[in-house]
Amino acid sequence: MENRHRARSAQDAAPGPPRHLYVHVPFCRARCDYCAFYSEPLTAEAYLDAYVEALLAEWRCEQARWGIGRLETVYLGGGTPSLLGELRLQRLLEPLQPQLTQHAEVTIETNPEDVTPTYANWVAHWRPKPRVSLGVQSFSARLRRELGRRGDVDPAVAYRRLRDAGVTNLSVDLIFAIPGQGVAEIEEELRRIGELQPEHVSWYELDIPEGGALERRLRGRRAPSTDVDGSAELYRRLVHGLERLGYHWYEVSNFARSGHQARHNVAYWRGQSYLGLGPAAVSTVGELRWTNEPDVRSYLAWAGQPTAASSSPERQWEELDEVVRARERLMLAARTGAAVELAAVAPALDSAALEPLAEAGFILLSGGKLRVARKGRYVANEVCVRLFRDFAF
Amino acid sequence: MTAQNQVRQDHIRNFSIIAHIDHGKSTLADRILELTGTVSPRDMKEQVLDKMDLERERGITIKAQAVRIIYTARDGDTYQLNLIDTPGHVDFTYEVSRSLAACEGAVLLVDASQGVEAQTVANAYLALENDLEIIPVLNKIDLPAANPAEAQLELHELTGATPEEIISVSAKTGAGVQEVLEAVVHRVPAPAGDPQGPPRALIFDSIYDQYRGVVAYVRVVDGQFSVREQIEMMGTGQRAEIEELGYFAPEMTAAATLSTGEVGYIITGVKDVAQVRVGDTITVAAPARRAKERLPGYRVVQPMVFCGLFPTEGDKYEELREALEKLALNDAALIYEPESSKALGFGFRCGFLGLLHMDIVRERLEREYGLELLATTPNVEYHVYLTNGEMVSVRNPADMPPEGHIVRIEEPYVEANILVPAEYVGAIMELCQGRRADFVTMQYLSPERVQMHYRLPLSEIVLDFFDQLKSRTKGYASLDYEIGEYRQSDLVKLDILLAGEPVDALSLIVPRDRAHARGKALVEKLRQVIPRQLFEVAVQAAIGSRVVARETVKAKRKDVLAKCYGGDITRKRKLLEKQKEGKKRMKQLGVVEVPQEAFLAVLQLDSGGKEK
Repeated sequence: MENRHRARSAQDAAPGPPRHLYVHVPFCRARCDYCAFYSEPLTAEAYLDAYVEALLAEWRCEQARWGIGRLETVYLGGGTPSLLGELRLQRLLEPLQPQLTQHAEVTIETNPEDVTPTYANWVAHWRPKPRVSLGVQSFSARLRRELGRRGDVDPAVAYRRLRDAGVTNLSVDLIFAIPGQGVAEIEEELRRIGELQPEHVSWYELDIPEGGALERRLRGRRAPSTDVDGSAELYRRLVHGLERLGYHWYEVSNFARSGHQARHNVAYWRGQSYLGLGPAAVSTVGELRWTNEPDVRSYLAWAGQPTAASSSPERQWEELDEVVRARERLMLAARTGAAVELAAVAPALDSAALEPLAEAGFILLSGGKLRVARKGRYVANEVCVRLFRDFAF
Repeated sequence: MTAQNQVRQDHIRNFSIIAHIDHGKSTLADRILELTGTVSPRDMKEQVLDKMDLERERGITIKAQAVRIIYTARDGDTYQLNLIDTPGHVDFTYEVSRSLAACEGAVLLVDASQGVEAQTVANAYLALENDLEIIPVLNKIDLPAANPAEAQLELHELTGATPEEIISVSAKTGAGVQEVLEAVVHRVPAPAGDPQGPPRALIFDSIYDQYRGVVAYVRVVDGQFSVREQIEMMGTGQRAEIEELGYFAPEMTAAATLSTGEVGYIITGVKDVAQVRVGDTITVAAPARRAKERLPGYRVVQPMVFCGLFPTEGDKYEELREALEKLALNDAALIYEPESSKALGFGFRCGFLGLLHMDIVRERLEREYGLELLATTPNVEYHVYLTNGEMVSVRNPADMPPEGHIVRIEEPYVEANILVPAEYVGAIMELCQGRRADFVTMQYLSPERVQMHYRLPLSEIVLDFFDQLKSRTKGYASLDYEIGEYRQSDLVKLDILLAGEPVDALSLIVPRDRAHARGKALVEKLRQVIPRQLFEVAVQAAIGSRVVARETVKAKRKDVLAKCYGGDITRKRKLLEKQKEGKKRMKQLGVVEVPQEAFLAVLQLDSGGKEK
């Protein structure tokens, strides 16, 4: 009851309905050692059908609540959305089609092992033409093994299959700072990218979650590429390498050919409203942010109730005050190098910090705007923290 | 009138228990209180006499305590025993000597598995100086590691006691504790004072109670004091009326009188501790009964170790001042004066008896007054003789006059006694050689245990001498020292510069021939403790304008989280907020952020023996 009330009052204050939709598919065949996202091992196929129905229930509920008439972007992330298979994906996306113009961006995260000829064909023929983000991780089988990837297939084969089927907007996900990955290995990844010519590259530093399988496996092993100087060197190499190949470095970990930036993600970074469906999914509308409980069972139970059409699943709420929003604006702008009005981030800003940072070339100041320079993007955390005004908790 | 006050003077015994730290002094006291019913089983807890949390946690005694015990001996008579508990650490030797002056006897307690240690020796000498009857007692005889024969031999060597005179106990189980009480009754003399003479009482300690003012701990030497009587502190001339007097049982228990030989407390309502000085004599104000001569007092305690204490938050300066004022009320040895540092802002230069004292004061300030403090490296007080004939005392390295104005510098030396198993003599010699120590003598207390006497600068002990001593002897060595005289040394001020700017709070005074090595080690250590920043930071050590060592803290090359999508924003923002919060523990010096441990980096250097 409380939740509904708060959602309704936020709706009154919101600047308009969200135009960006995230759909979470928290299932994996097996959990990757490096992944920190909420996911569940896949148990029964029937479960997936029920899950798709639950997502649609939440969608209908939120669409009505916010009066969503048009969506600019849709992003199917996970977990492993491609694991649903083309039939369920069709079933899931069909009801959204009326909200999508031909210019809408629809991204489907896809695992190479799910790219069957049928799947590739379905993706290529769906409209508006989807964007596929392919979870490559590394073009080297040795490094993929290092990450503990199971059920391995050659990601280049999957890539070509999609391309040959007619997918025109492809992104590859890569990881750097894998143990055993040096400068030569980065150069090799770059060579493969040059060969395959994806429209977009996301290249993340390996995050070793504490207490996870990866940490246990790496414990006690010397891994120069994972120390701070080693990984900084690889990072610089790959940024420069991708730029030579014609990609723009438009966010810390994201690179795109002109006109192929991920519009969905750009919306996050500009602080626009977005809706997230599924367990653990996060939504932000105006000053309100909520997170669905990360529990598939209770989510399915909610969707099975007759009241589902008018009630929300279990959620955590967070109200974003002026200072918090300003802090986030600053943090996100630092990651993209976007200019922000000093006035817009003033509540979070220590203006005494500007001068020394500008002098050293970490930020650029002009016309009442602040921009974090390329040099500052490598150390965006530290730059943000210096820019933040002191605060008490 | 309670039964306790009817005991005759010849049935009073005043005694202390003296021991090296951890030899079981507090446990023995606990057993005595239990055995004599002074503390009921319901109120019994460990270290009954240690009232401060800090004392219980660390297992040490900081303040002296006095407790009255009524004991019916095997001869059928009832005796009043006053047990005066004393601290056991070298820093508090002066407290021990004060307490001993109020006694006629001392139980010298030795752990049978450890044997005689440096503090045992120092305490035994103190007891002998005060002309006390020593009762040697071996503790922990029930432990498998106990070596009573060896320990007896050492005790004999130290005190001349025969094996028959040495009592064996287990303070833990209580075995033999009654023998100790019997020995106190039969071997310790009754107090000798004149019950008819002009009243005189020695103030051997005092505490400040915020409601009642100063509570003086006294030993009545002659005559008798009664409640409501006008008294005079002979040293200060302060007069007052006795509001309350009494004894400790172990809680303060009011009585009508305190008679010759008794130990107890006197409250007058005087609020100013300076007017009720430890070591002063109390007499009555009435001219007819007023004493003419004071009792021998104590030497005034001098703080020997100094450091700057700064609140980590600048606006807490006033709170720090108030907290120091309050602590000093109960701690005559603590001194403080305002200090202003370019790097650390406003704080106080504080003087302490030693490192443990410093540690305890700092911890009490943080714990009891909720302050967060930054402490600079401790140093001693230097006597600097100038070309203009003046002598200045330098308690803060930053205040050292320019070299051109200095004729010579003197620093305090100590006479150090180190007791160590024979196999570690070489290790001690090596350590002491690296610390500018002069060998004085060496003596075998037994075939296995050696007493080594060195004379060395206090500044060398103030660093990590004690830790080194322990680690090089697997913990078997013990140390005691006495402050000796000031002697000339060839010393220079070593400055530390961060990003080209000198940091006053990091300056230190070092022997000239070690300046290079010390500077090199220090900048290396600072390079490790100063985290990488956006900018490269040069860390330099300099003597005057001459740079003698340099290291560089490299700039951060990457500090950014890989992923930040819709689901991550809150979490990532909170990580940054945490990173920001972490910076509160850093001091911002110009563009450089310096963590607090940098100011104590010099303490973490291996400054002994191994430098070239």
